Amino acid sequence: LDSDVQWCFSQVKGAIDDDVAEADIISTVEFNHTGELLATGDKGGRVVIFQQEPESKNQPQCRGEYNVYSTFQSHEPEFDYLKSLEIEEKINKIRWLPQKNAAQFLLSTNDKTIKLWKISERDKRPEGYNLKEEDGRYRDPNTVTTLRVPIFRPMDLMVEASPRRVFANAHTYHINSIAVNSDYETYLSADDLRINLWHLEITDRSFNIVDIKPANMEELTEVITAAEFHPNQCNTFVYSSSKGTIRMCDMRASALCDKHAKMFEEPEDPNNRSFFSEIISSISDVKFSHSGRYMMTRDYLSVKIWDLNMETRPVETYQVHEYLRSKLCSLYENDCIFDKFECCWNGNDSVVMTGSYNNFFRMFDRGYRQDVTLEASRENSKPRSVLKPRKVSTGGKRKKDEISVDSLDFNKKILHTAWHPLDNIIAVATTNNLYIFQEKLN
Amino acid sequence: MLGRGVKRKWSCLEEAEVVSEAAEDKQQHEDEDGQDGLLDPSRSDMSRLQQRQLVLGLCLEKLQRYQAGVELSLRRSVLLINTLRQIQEEMRSDGVGSCDVHPDSCLLRDDFREDVTVTCPGCSEGESPPELPSQEANGSDQQKPPAAVSDAVNAMGYLGDLALDDIFEDIDTSMYETSDLPSAWASGSLWPLSVSLWPDEDVKLRPQSHSTAGSLQSCLMDLNELDHIMEILVKS
Repeated sequence: LDSDVQWCFSQVKGAIDDDVAEADIISTVEFNHTGELLATGDKGGRVVIFQQEPESKNQPQCRGEYNVYSTFQSHEPEFDYLKSLEIEEKINKIRWLPQKNAAQFLLSTNDKTIKLWKISERDKRPEGYNLKEEDGRYRDPNTVTTLRVPIFRPMDLMVEASPRRVFANAHTYHINSIAVNSDYETYLSADDLRINLWHLEITDRSFNIVDIKPANMEELTEVITAAEFHPNQCNTFVYSSSKGTIRMCDMRASALCDKHAKMFEEPEDPNNRSFFSEIISSISDVKFSHSGRYMMTRDYLSVKIWDLNMETRPVETYQVHEYLRSKLCSLYENDCIFDKFECCWNGNDSVVMTGSYNNFFRMFDRGYRQDVTLEASRENSKPRSVLKPRKVSTGGKRKKDEISVDSLDFNKKILHTAWHPLDNIIAVATTNNLYIFQEKLN
Repeated sequence: MLGRGVKRKWSCLEEAEVVSEAAEDKQQHEDEDGQDGLLDPSRSDMSRLQQRQLVLGLCLEKLQRYQAGVELSLRRSVLLINTLRQIQEEMRSDGVGSCDVHPDSCLLRDDFREDVTVTCPGCSEGESPPELPSQEANGSDQQKPPAAVSDAVNAMGYLGDLALDDIFEDIDTSMYETSDLPSAWASGSLWPLSVSLWPDEDVKLRPQSHSTAGSLQSCLMDLNELDHIMEILVKS
């Protein structure tokens, strides 16, 4: 547990209501590069950005709280008239750009369109125009007898979000990932069958760098599930598939990266073979470590850490909820087996985190070889209360405080989690609430 | 309307349901707080064959599920189809005969609607289901497959026997068929419309999916009109 880090409840955002409005379902969570800003996207196409308050000297044992900084409607529902289909406004991914000036920039995407948003602060406004009254009405130039220089006066802070670029019409299939390159000039967007490379300044064209669409669609057996750029090699990216493989590509090799430089795949364990083997091997998320030496993949039951120099098998495998292996048939029946869980690294790559059911989430300490199960619930939401580790009982006898597998609530799933890039602060999204937990500081 | 209105029998699924209900009766000692759980305890008790039947039925059910106006997830569809293929392979190698569920049979099209009933050519007249040709051929050489498996075969038999031409024999398509159809659209030899497992969304001129057989006619007309327009565009 990272030398006994204890996690405390810090904040929870969102409605207390048990009746969840569909538009409020959180679909993505992302810290910016400093951790000062935390963005969420929801099914209703909205983006909410929280900003961390500066640490107060009064409470040195607490890191700053996150409060709403900006809220805006990123995507609207659209209708594809040709196919008679709705295009959902749900935000699939948000990715921050590193800050270059006073404004903040992020990319947000739904199934079809990526948008670059500029979030800027305004805390002063010009006053004292010569040709305009304060209320904006134009003055008759003939009444102007003297000239004055307009000056800036302070005003209440206003945070404005404006769309600076719209990257549209490049994806036939549903976008599942966007990833900013370490050159900070380009980014990739991946759908089920193709990956496109964009320049942040150019919206009217993109380069197709991966295309796995077969000539005959009836031969289709595999789709792209996630893609990411290497954190410091700007020519390298990876993409994962529904068959549990990860392909690493080098953009210098050719324009169309259909031949992978490396392919990562673990041979299947013949003892675990079932009708559901392929479905549970489908990778739902891939994330490079901050160092760039490793990458992590999430499939239905496990988290795997891969050394980029070894393609044959992962170097570490962590079971998220192995007790579900005997329940796969039921999970197939109720569709839970298709849930896509994300995963994330902590700032120094020593701990990884991912979500599970019953509002449980799991942390795996790579160094200490320890893991913990915690729960995001309103019951444990007393300020600064320490989270108690949870346990799912797998055997016959259920100990006190343990919960049996059949009692787990499969409607309460934690699909999206994020870890502050520098500190031990985590953001965990339940269906419609965002929980923020912090390390207990003494 | 397509077919003769006789619903297909999910006899294998019904059997599996009976089995699982019996299993549930045995398992009355569940946890009381299993209210919020969504796991059916009886599912873990099934034999592999029972599970296979259940998964097969669920596969087909999930593939046919259609929600108006919402695009199906390609990932989900691919995973379902692959599972179906795997089961099909296993049933084949188990010596269950040629239960050829062609992935491109109309039942597995994304835009297949549940209200379009399909019937075996034999069932429509109230006859008993026809035997599978391969069983006739190999019957004497092979062991009789276990009852549960042959039920699954019967259930799937209608899929194997499905001759798409028979279903649509009452639709006169002669005025729509033209030798100038684009090759992509003419590739499905049994079917005036190209039978595609996945809506090939890149081909923007594919006809839209329709929900009733009546609109199949208009679908064909759209096809003809689009083809005509394409000709004009290409020649200009």
